[in-house]
Amino acid sequence: MKKKILLVDDSKTVLLMEKMLLRKQPYQIVEAYDGSEAVTKSLAEMPDAILMDVVMPKMTGLEACRVIRERAETAHIPIILVTTRGEAASIEAGYTNGCTDYVTKPIDAIELIEKLENAMGQRALHMAGA
Amino acid sequence: MSTTMDDTDTKRRLARLEAELSCAREETSALRTRLDQIEGEHRACAAQYVELEQQNLNLTNLYVASYQLHGRQERSNVLAAIKEIVINLIGSEELIVYEASADRRELIPIDSFGVDESALKSVPFGHGPIGETASAGQLYVESDKKDFTAAVPLKLGDDVVGVVAIYSLLPQKSGLCPTDMDLFDVLASHGGTALFCATEGEKSPDGDAS
Repeated sequence: MKKKILLVDDSKTVLLMEKMLLRKQPYQIVEAYDGSEAVTKSLAEMPDAILMDVVMPKMTGLEACRVIRERAETAHIPIILVTTRGEAASIEAGYTNGCTDYVTKPIDAIELIEKLENAMGQRALHMAGA
Repeated sequence: MSTTMDDTDTKRRLARLEAELSCAREETSALRTRLDQIEGEHRACAAQYVELEQQNLNLTNLYVASYQLHGRQERSNVLAAIKEIVINLIGSEELIVYEASADRRELIPIDSFGVDESALKSVPFGHGPIGETASAGQLYVESDKKDFTAAVPLKLGDDVVGVVAIYSLLPQKSGLCPTDMDLFDVLASHGGTALFCATEGEKSPDGDAS
């Protein structure tokens, strides 16, 4: 069964890039264009992982991350933040709001797939141990 | 008599064991050599995989950049695509997009991201790296300064219709890579054409950029 990945970004360029990078993997892709839509779709679609931009209109990636974590139904979903700024403060803010991991722009394909697989693998191990 | 026989037997057994040990040592040595060989092959395969993935990423970047530039008909959307390419694919959050004036004597700032408004001034053709890029139609890449990275001409054939000035790169980017040079090429050729077509399209009576 294909794993479902929710891609969240307000930039069509980034969404297209991410879809192209992930197209060879056995993933089913779902898209959202801002943090608010990400919160709604995370509940409706129950993805195996979320790859989310930080700076977005309506609701930022950090806020969306926190809301997704606070909801019992979606709290377990691994969230990888896509951040423009790789500085410690930005990364710290991501972890404070509950992200599982992060990647920086410009996105590196190998790093992205490794982090997605790691995040989903850790989740599977956690479920198996529960 | 019995003691002599025992000695002979022990010596024979010892010789056999020594021969077996020697064989085992040779076998271990051969296996070590084979293991080294396999590890070398594995490293070569891994390096080849990384190289192929890098090429794949490069092609993906170029496809996305040209698709985004040509998929947009409105001038504002073309400018948005240029900014998105610089921010997300090249990796800089400080840029100014200039357009050549009708008399082709100066560059006028028409869009920007992450730079102070006071920096948005017209630049005469031939003046500084940005103006020189417009008059020569050649990419300018800064190798010394960290606060200025490149000036990319936006071209329509041989004519320069604008310039994209790229300032600091994102902190996690140590410098430009070959993929960035290819992206500059795409911006120069496809970005210039897309901006010109969108601008002309909006000037036409029905506003159709196609």
